[in-house]
Amino acid sequence: MSGDKPSTDDILAKLRGGGAPAPEQADDSAAEASAAEESAPAESAAPAAGGSPLDQIRAGGGGGAAKPAEAKPAASGSPLDQIRAGGGGAAKPAAAKPAAGGSPLDQIRAGGAGAAKPAAGGSPLDQIRAGGGGAAKPAAGGSPLDQIRGGGAAKPAAAAKPAVAAKAAPVDTAKASGMSAAEMIEAARKGVVTADPATGEPKEAAPKKVALPKKPLPGKAAKKAAEQPRRDFLALLLGIICSPLVWAWGSLVAATAASSLAIARFMMPNVLVEPPTKFKIGPPTDYGPGTVSTKWKAQYGVWIVNAEVDGQPLIYALSTVCTHLGCTPNWLEGEQKFKCPCHGSGFYKTGVNFEGPAPRPLERHGIRLAEDGMLEVDKSIKFQKELGQWENASSFVSV
Amino acid sequence: MNPHPDLTSSVLHGLGWFYLILFVMNLWWTARSYKLDGEFSKDTPILGGVPVATIWAVLSAILLMVSAAHFTGTSSPDTFLIRLPEWFKNPVDAFFADPKIYFAGSLVLFWAMIQFREWWIKDTVAWSLLQGSLIFLALSMSDYDFRQIVGKPDNVPIVAMLFIVSFLTWIYFRRACDNDRRIEEGRPLFEQENNEKVLVWPDLVYTELICMVLLTVVLVFWGIALKAPLEEPASSVKTPNPSKAPWYFLGLQEMLVYFDPWLAGVVLPGIILGGLMAIPYIDFNKTGNGYYVFKERAFAVTTFLFGFFPLWIALIVLGTFLRGPNWNFYGIYEVWDVHKVEAANNVNLSEFFWGFPGISAIYGGMPKGDAFLGSPVATMLLRESPGIVLIFLYFAVLPPILGLTVLRKYFVKMGIFRFLVFSNLALWMAVLPIKMVLRWAFSLKYIVGIPEWFFNI
Repeated sequence: MSGDKPSTDDILAKLRGGGAPAPEQADDSAAEASAAEESAPAESAAPAAGGSPLDQIRAGGGGGAAKPAEAKPAASGSPLDQIRAGGGGAAKPAAAKPAAGGSPLDQIRAGGAGAAKPAAGGSPLDQIRAGGGGAAKPAAGGSPLDQIRGGGAAKPAAAAKPAVAAKAAPVDTAKASGMSAAEMIEAARKGVVTADPATGEPKEAAPKKVALPKKPLPGKAAKKAAEQPRRDFLALLLGIICSPLVWAWGSLVAATAASSLAIARFMMPNVLVEPPTKFKIGPPTDYGPGTVSTKWKAQYGVWIVNAEVDGQPLIYALSTVCTHLGCTPNWLEGEQKFKCPCHGSGFYKTGVNFEGPAPRPLERHGIRLAEDGMLEVDKSIKFQKELGQWENASSFVSV
Repeated sequence: MNPHPDLTSSVLHGLGWFYLILFVMNLWWTARSYKLDGEFSKDTPILGGVPVATIWAVLSAILLMVSAAHFTGTSSPDTFLIRLPEWFKNPVDAFFADPKIYFAGSLVLFWAMIQFREWWIKDTVAWSLLQGSLIFLALSMSDYDFRQIVGKPDNVPIVAMLFIVSFLTWIYFRRACDNDRRIEEGRPLFEQENNEKVLVWPDLVYTELICMVLLTVVLVFWGIALKAPLEEPASSVKTPNPSKAPWYFLGLQEMLVYFDPWLAGVVLPGIILGGLMAIPYIDFNKTGNGYYVFKERAFAVTTFLFGFFPLWIALIVLGTFLRGPNWNFYGIYEVWDVHKVEAANNVNLSEFFWGFPGISAIYGGMPKGDAFLGSPVATMLLRESPGIVLIFLYFAVLPPILGLTVLRKYFVKMGIFRFLVFSNLALWMAVLPIKMVLRWAFSLKYIVGIPEWFFNI
């Protein structure tokens, strides 16, 4: 059971709706009933049992299961008891009361169908829901707290079996014992007041019964319930599948998955409008000694440099991406350096960094002398000096 | 004909209006001063008092004449006389173009702001500072290069920000000094004495409505008067020179000059945000809740303002007005010459260390390849070991030392965990100025530089 307590409102609703109408609240029918009772207490039990008409109306169809006959045996209480129990107003035999759908609130909550379920205390699930109070006797399932908390789950089995009359609404018994409203609320919260099955007299139940729900004992009802676990399981499964929560989350997951797939597809366009990674840049003679050519910068993002590296004249292709944060540096002819406008990184003609924050030299791209005597740059490969890749023969062309 | 004239007819016209506004402002101030100070202000160190109102009246008269001169001189801007002389511009340029002097100047200004707070919050002093800065701005506008930078639509909000930030700081210090005095004299705080409550409706809502209308008007006129700074279509191979971040990120961009991108772009901003969020948990000083005060929270206020003024506002100003083409430093009156040569050969600490004559002689220079233990990684770590040791000392050894000596008081009050968080945050804040100064003074690039792993500090 969840640990939450019924709110005061719930309890008050229970007090007002579930119990016999208090004398001062007595409506016409209750007044009639009391009038009849005064004349013939013994007979009045039946009309009174069926006769919390208000309850029956409230209880819906389930409440209607209360047969006056079932109520009769219990109605044999002494008039004194009855008067005491009923407070003299809509006096009803306490035992009959539950038969009349004694927890109308529950029935209302449960709806007519729920109330009609006969073996309420039987299915383990229900017992768990109901707080497991009904372990030994389904009647005990009627611990007041459970009835309030359990709502629809706590089925008034009383409708089927008069013996279950012990499901007496706590409120009635509480009322019968002449407790004040505050005491009743307190008692209902604690769940200590239960009804004696036979007499409907209030009886102090062991608190632990409520506080520590026991596992269902292998009783009669449990045996009965054991016959239908499979059906219950399927129903449970169906309930889960059909629940709006599952549908909502399911559709959310589906929509997210679909859009993720769409994004993934977007990353692989049918047509890629990009310059080719391999391109010819003319014969080596186009690039005179000691020059930096910027003519392929805009189109392909490379500088073609013809310079001496370690005393050896080479032609190589430098990437125009700054190694600091990816801006495009400018070639400054006067200073003979590449200079980045974003954070001031500077690179020598060789591509080696020497000023500003750039941590490593510019990258070289692959270059080779093609069979037709033209230089061919391959942008798909890159060579990093700090990894020693400038030694690679594909990163330069000797002049 | 000079393509970049210092003065043109339209500039003179605009300055004429500017001086006219200054004249009106000072006329009002003269009247106010005469009413409050009287003919001779007694609240001055000079014996017998100073005729404050008279001085303001003279200034107003001068401003009116200057304004009139600008309006009448619009026909011949080349021969107009009121302009900044070169002997003034050159030292100012030298001051601003050298980041060491600029940063030291901002620190001195910060110190003076705290130290002389009782003085500069006075009405007459504050008004004098405001008028001085406005007249400086007006005079500087007669310089072409200054006008290009300050008048750029991008930069107008920064100029406005300088005045707004100054004003708000002035309010803070004024109220704080007032409360400091009240606490000293045992009087109730200003906030307690003037705690008259007003209603949300209509008082607050009407104020908000008026602010909303005024702000909308300002924005509309701003949008009409200053064109959006649109440029040519973006190109991945052509970066504008200089390429500047939005003004509010210029402090961050400045940090990127001194640190690796992952550090300056990710770690440091993260620490700034996390540190600001951690302040309430670090702060053990319970005073200052709901009222302005300085003395009770001198450490907290000074630390915060240090991070705000020299390390944020000053860097925004640096990035906006002083950074030019190729991200070089330029004075405020200096031409943005793309070919200005600035010696900036930066070297890593490891190169300093292993190139040091004594060490070089013993160990034979920087370890390379797999010279150490036959492993390239071990060699690399050995190469960077001086920087690694320094970083370790800074972040791991310095906090306990500080806690046991200088910051012992804080250590006792905070406990070990809070103190370590606090001291590390403070050390991280100090990282930026330390690295800036090292870069400017010694051309130090990275303390730990491992480009092989993209790990540079």
